[in-house]
Amino acid sequence: MASNATQYNNLTPAQPLDKKTLNKMVWRSLNLQGSFNYERMQAGGWLYGILPGLEKIHGDNEEDLKTSMQHNLEFFNTHPFLVTFVMGIVLSLEQQKADIPTIRAVRVAAMGPLGGIGDAIFWFTLVPITAGITSNMAINGSLAGPILFLLIFNVVQFAVRFWLMNWSYKLGSKAIELLTANAKEFTRAASLLGVFVVGALTSNYGGTTVKLQFENGESPIIIQNILDGILPKLIPLTITLGLFFLIKKKGWTPVACIGLLLVVGLLGALIGLF
Amino acid sequence: MEFNAIQILLVGVWAFIVGIDQYNLLESLYQPIVTGAVVGAILGDLNTGLVVGGTYQLMTIGNMPVGGAQPPNAIIGGIMATVFAIGSGLDTTAAVGLAVPFALFGQYMVTLVFTVMSPLMSSADKMAEKGDVKGIVRLNYLAMGALGLLFAVVCIGGLIGGTALGTTLQTISDKYGWIMDGLGAAGGMMRFVGFAILLRIMLSNELWGIYFAGFALATIIGYIPELSGSALLLVAFVGIAIALNDFQTRVAIRQNAGNGNGGDEDGI
Repeated sequence: MASNATQYNNLTPAQPLDKKTLNKMVWRSLNLQGSFNYERMQAGGWLYGILPGLEKIHGDNEEDLKTSMQHNLEFFNTHPFLVTFVMGIVLSLEQQKADIPTIRAVRVAAMGPLGGIGDAIFWFTLVPITAGITSNMAINGSLAGPILFLLIFNVVQFAVRFWLMNWSYKLGSKAIELLTANAKEFTRAASLLGVFVVGALTSNYGGTTVKLQFENGESPIIIQNILDGILPKLIPLTITLGLFFLIKKKGWTPVACIGLLLVVGLLGALIGLF
Repeated sequence: MEFNAIQILLVGVWAFIVGIDQYNLLESLYQPIVTGAVVGAILGDLNTGLVVGGTYQLMTIGNMPVGGAQPPNAIIGGIMATVFAIGSGLDTTAAVGLAVPFALFGQYMVTLVFTVMSPLMSSADKMAEKGDVKGIVRLNYLAMGALGLLFAVVCIGGLIGGTALGTTLQTISDKYGWIMDGLGAAGGMMRFVGFAILLRIMLSNELWGIYFAGFALATIIGYIPELSGSALLLVAFVGIAIALNDFQTRVAIRQNAGNGNGGDEDGI
């Protein structure tokens, strides 16, 4: 369970990260989805990716490193090819020892919108165009097809990864100077944006629907349609709030919640609910 | 055509690599156009590999009308389609069809690993609590290796067992598919645990309205098909406007209070 700390012990800004460390984290960003899972998605890979930077930043204070590792293991999901943008910003905040709620909120706010942009660039543009051309070369028996495909795709991918990391790290470092003067207000505004985005994620990532329906002559009663009539995405909202209640008020652990969902999922599949 | 032990092993190694690559590494080695050529080269028929890979690639990007079922996991689908095309001299469409049961099992393996890794995140939390950097690194590599290994097993099984194994796998899927459906449904709900934990930390009582506002806006935008891709970006624009406004207002209030123009505390 994540830590409740709101500030690092050592509030002196760390040395700015050198290019070598930034580049090392770009390479690590390739494995963002290494421990992908249904609960926190890319969280494990995210922490793995920024660890070289966190170790440098919090190298002089072990407690701060632990605190940072804990809050960087919370739910995380963004577009894998654009993740270095979030890394750069978050690392610049970590380096300046910003308030933890601020870092968390900026991380949540930055990760969400990148999904759509990344899909549009990579899956709907780059891959169809490159693969479309090179596939026909391959079908004609040319080995240049797959080689050219890999070359083009990866040149673009690495250019984007390296550029975003360096650009957003600088951007974050510049912005922080302006914001430290109004730190309290900034933390509140960032939290506001973060909560707004989590609300949006509940709807946008919430795909759970039920298949249940009752025979009724010509027009069967479809439960999902009734639920959508009350409030679309009612199920994702209800489950999220229910889990929030169990965790906050009843002290449930995440593992207990996962166990409950597994039982619900399996029983539901057995009776044709899902 | 019979394949020798070295060929089987090499296809297994390739399946291990692309099993990981589908979510990590270069995230492009797994594409059928690449995988077809590599598996073709291993099995001694590069040309067929290129043709199957290229054709299958076009199917997956939707440029080619294709009959029959699309394999649920394109990575294993691509490997096994190439294997069957070379081994039995089938055309691509028929080979892709025979690859379906294996691709289905490949997808089951993904579901399994993503499910098992969910409770393991609590072990990761404990590592973070102790500052165990190496443990976090190890956990990531372990999860990647597990997925690669399961993909290798399915593909090696396919090379040895051939289409007969495919029929068996199909029977198993038909019988026990509900378990995977259940895991998939549970998996779809587990992200709500992640959200709930975030909310537990971020959500002060005064921000409840903001949470529902974000939910409402995303739901509205989500129901407009043309905007489904940009929904979260649009949400962020509105969110930034609200946050910026809040920021500016509160800074102004505090500065006024400092000037002695207001009687309030510093606006918080």
